Amino acid sequence: MDLHQFSEWLSATPLSQRIQVTTWAIPGIQTVHLICLALVFACALVFSLRIAGRGLSSEPLPLLATRFTRAIWYLLVVLLLSGALLIVAEPGRTITNPVFYAKMTMLAVVVAVTLWLSAVARRQFERPSGLHVFMAAFGMLLWIGIMFAGRFIAYVESN
Amino acid sequence: MFQTFFEWLQNTPLAVLVGETWFPWVESAHVVCLALVAGTIFTVDARLIGFASRQLRFTYVSERLLPWTWGAFICAAITGGLLFIANATNYAHNVPFQIKMVLLLVAGINMLYFQFVIFRSVNSWDSGTPAPAARVAGLLSIVIWCGVIGFGRWIGFV
Repeated sequence: MDLHQFSEWLSATPLSQRIQVTTWAIPGIQTVHLICLALVFACALVFSLRIAGRGLSSEPLPLLATRFTRAIWYLLVVLLLSGALLIVAEPGRTITNPVFYAKMTMLAVVVAVTLWLSAVARRQFERPSGLHVFMAAFGMLLWIGIMFAGRFIAYVESN
Repeated sequence: MFQTFFEWLQNTPLAVLVGETWFPWVESAHVVCLALVAGTIFTVDARLIGFASRQLRFTYVSERLLPWTWGAFICAAITGGLLFIANATNYAHNVPFQIKMVLLLVAGINMLYFQFVIFRSVNSWDSGTPAPAARVAGLLSIVIWCGVIGFGRWIGFV
């Protein structure tokens, strides 16, 4: 079964059909996806700023890193679930779309960057190096790239 | 009269340019701005309702995050304005768009009431759990902004 056949099979499943015929389902799921995305972006910003010694800098880095990265992981679960529902609803729009794969690649990289920075931050270093600050900024750029890719899925034709 | 104005707006060179070329880029930038606006507001509201960051003073959290909110809000208003003029005559009659604008107004009123009435007693609740009125304002803000996002997304579906 290639991707096109898989896509056709998926869009014929009862769940996909159900979402397709429910008028509010897709905007509703996208709204949940956007609300969680906003929260993830804000958590990533607070964490990145703290690594650069700014923002909520009175809170010790290990504590702040624990709080905010935990929130990011929980939110990512909701984002993956809502994203999965959107794929099930309209597989032809995503799983053969190169922009979707660009988005997933950036997501994998930003997860790796966040895991690494979170591990470093919890090891009680009070003066993050220039590399850490650079990677935190790189992570923020990746989140922005992910948002652009997410929107461009709607504009770039699937293969 | 409004109709003529929106038609004129939609035919300005800038509106035509956005409509024909820039729309996906401006829309994506709008998403980034709204994520920053709503995300930072939710983070401050979470402290205001006493859900998170309770070990930090409320004013400490709000003073460090709200400048990001305002900066991003200005960018969201500019990108949103560009999206609007690209298709002004349709958006003006789009019900989710109208509801979104009303909700933005309500969010502003909630914020003003918080700033000029509830916030005056901030010294008594800055540390620990905020006063009930402050928590209500925080909860209202979360609900209103979820509505702004929801109706905003719905604009493209009617």
